[in-house]
Amino acid sequence: MHFYCVSGLAVAADLLLPGLNALAAEPAAPDVTIRSGAVPDALTNPGSTGLTWQIADRSFLLRIPGIARFLLNEGREIIYAAEPGGDPADIPVFVLGTVFGILLHQREQVVLHASAVRVGNKAILFCGPSGSGKSTLAAALSKRGYPLLTDDICAISIEAQGARRGVPLVHPDGRQLKLWAQAIDRLDLGASRRNPVRSRLEKFYVEPDRAHGGALLLGAAYILREARPPLTPGIEAPNAVDAALLLRRNAYRPQLVMRMDQKAGYFHAATTVANAAGVFHLTRRLDFADMPLVIGWLERHWLDIGLLEKAA
Amino acid sequence: MRKVWLASYPKSGNTWFRMLLANLSSPDGKPADINDLPLRGGIASAREPFDDLTLIDSGLLTHDETDALRPRVYEALAGGDDGMDDAPPEGNTAPQVRFAKTHDAYTRTPKGEPLLAGRGGAAAAIVIVRDPRDVAASLANHKAVGIDDAIAFMSDFNAAFCSRPRRQYNQFRQKLLTWSEHVASWLDQTDIPVHCVHYEDMQADTGGALRDALAFAQREASAAQIARAVRLASFAQLQAQEKAKGFREGPRPRPDGRFFRRGEAGAWRDELTAEQVARIESDHAAMMRRLGYPLTATPRLAEAG
Repeated sequence: MHFYCVSGLAVAADLLLPGLNALAAEPAAPDVTIRSGAVPDALTNPGSTGLTWQIADRSFLLRIPGIARFLLNEGREIIYAAEPGGDPADIPVFVLGTVFGILLHQREQVVLHASAVRVGNKAILFCGPSGSGKSTLAAALSKRGYPLLTDDICAISIEAQGARRGVPLVHPDGRQLKLWAQAIDRLDLGASRRNPVRSRLEKFYVEPDRAHGGALLLGAAYILREARPPLTPGIEAPNAVDAALLLRRNAYRPQLVMRMDQKAGYFHAATTVANAAGVFHLTRRLDFADMPLVIGWLERHWLDIGLLEKAA
Repeated sequence: MRKVWLASYPKSGNTWFRMLLANLSSPDGKPADINDLPLRGGIASAREPFDDLTLIDSGLLTHDETDALRPRVYEALAGGDDGMDDAPPEGNTAPQVRFAKTHDAYTRTPKGEPLLAGRGGAAAAIVIVRDPRDVAASLANHKAVGIDDAIAFMSDFNAAFCSRPRRQYNQFRQKLLTWSEHVASWLDQTDIPVHCVHYEDMQADTGGALRDALAFAQREASAAQIARAVRLASFAQLQAQEKAKGFREGPRPRPDGRFFRRGEAGAWRDELTAEQVARIESDHAAMMRRLGYPLTATPRLAEAG
């Protein structure tokens, strides 16, 4: 068995999950168990059904055709089975992504589609859909010395009590980055390149120079946009109402928020984050040549909003 | 809700047609903003609705694995489910007919299903075609390549948009096939009814071409609405908007390049060499004849091999 800390949860898994923070010792009672086993083709009496998935009571069935099926029970257990003809080596990357995202929804945890790095002592989020440049930006920042917190999926909690009551916290995983070959070349990260995420893809795990393991206060969230007319490049703050809406739209799989009855939790979290931390649009050309420029904007912005201290 | 594809080979007038549709109803009498047309769900190859509906990160799938699931996504979208929990962006009233753009050729998945889900994906298709000699010049501008490269692309059976394996695109791979095969794939499929619009007819009689296409799509529009759309989405209007503010769907390879370039029929006469004209006519003679585009050159290139 392998033991990890994922989004603040103790995980026991019978398969290797690349890049997650390993626990030093076996936990007495893991929060989540991941194991191979029999997974049905369908659930009986599903209450909700989608293209690739079904929900029945506290169980969630996800089918990735030709690759694997996953059964998630009560936010505590993930059972996986390769589909006929599927390669078992393809399973971990889906567990790390969609499957764990769904599990966090089962646990009524707020999950954003975001990558995050540590700046000063706070978490900085980059939100956007697949292909918007989250991982590439996080990789470039990690190369610049900002420790990686998470890639792609970002769990957030609002403290319910104590000194941090009402404060949004980010729970990192120390995940490895997943980058396409072109991005690895252009960011000169060849030395940090690890195995392909799937044997058939030219997309690879990339080891960040530094990663950070503990929960951090959320400092700022940037919604990534491509600079295409009429949008102009730069960093700007939307108003608070729009900021909360933007965060909700960047939930990890908004459909799950609705189907799993979690709209109220997301409303609360989005409003709290919008009030407690800065929410900004980061609009830039999708061009690797502009990366130093964009990092320059961000570092100046972090000075402006007090996340970095000005040199004396 | 009735869904209708706006299908065409690239650079054949698809965007102009979408602009005409957007200007059918204009609450304040002003032209619709060319940068404010719905994008999400507006093009069949968009990645986000797929990820939202399947929950799967399409960036972890091969092009073929994605294609195997795309028919399911088009069925869901045709049924009104786009995988989001917020109100639809198009306003309070559901439109009677919803149009979605596609440059995909009408192909089948490895399992033999129509990629665009046949009748399950849309009720019908408006297919826009354009003289391939004009397409070549426009495509060269759009791709920032020479006209010879554009001509070679148009006769490549493996031609596709967004297909390189080392990176991820915002859109899925779109198999185009050759220009002739692209047009044939749409006109000859028997899953859904098609209405063929010639770009040249949109030029000559914009209102008439729009009226006939809307009648086919069963989208109601008054004569006044059609007249307004023709006026507000004239090529000069679109060009002026692009010049003033840029166009977010414009060509990426050249930030200074224009999307709304000439918008003429027959401009190939002063943009292509005789040899380039002869090559296109040789490559696509049969489909050009079928669509009524008269050939000018003798097909000597083909004979010369």
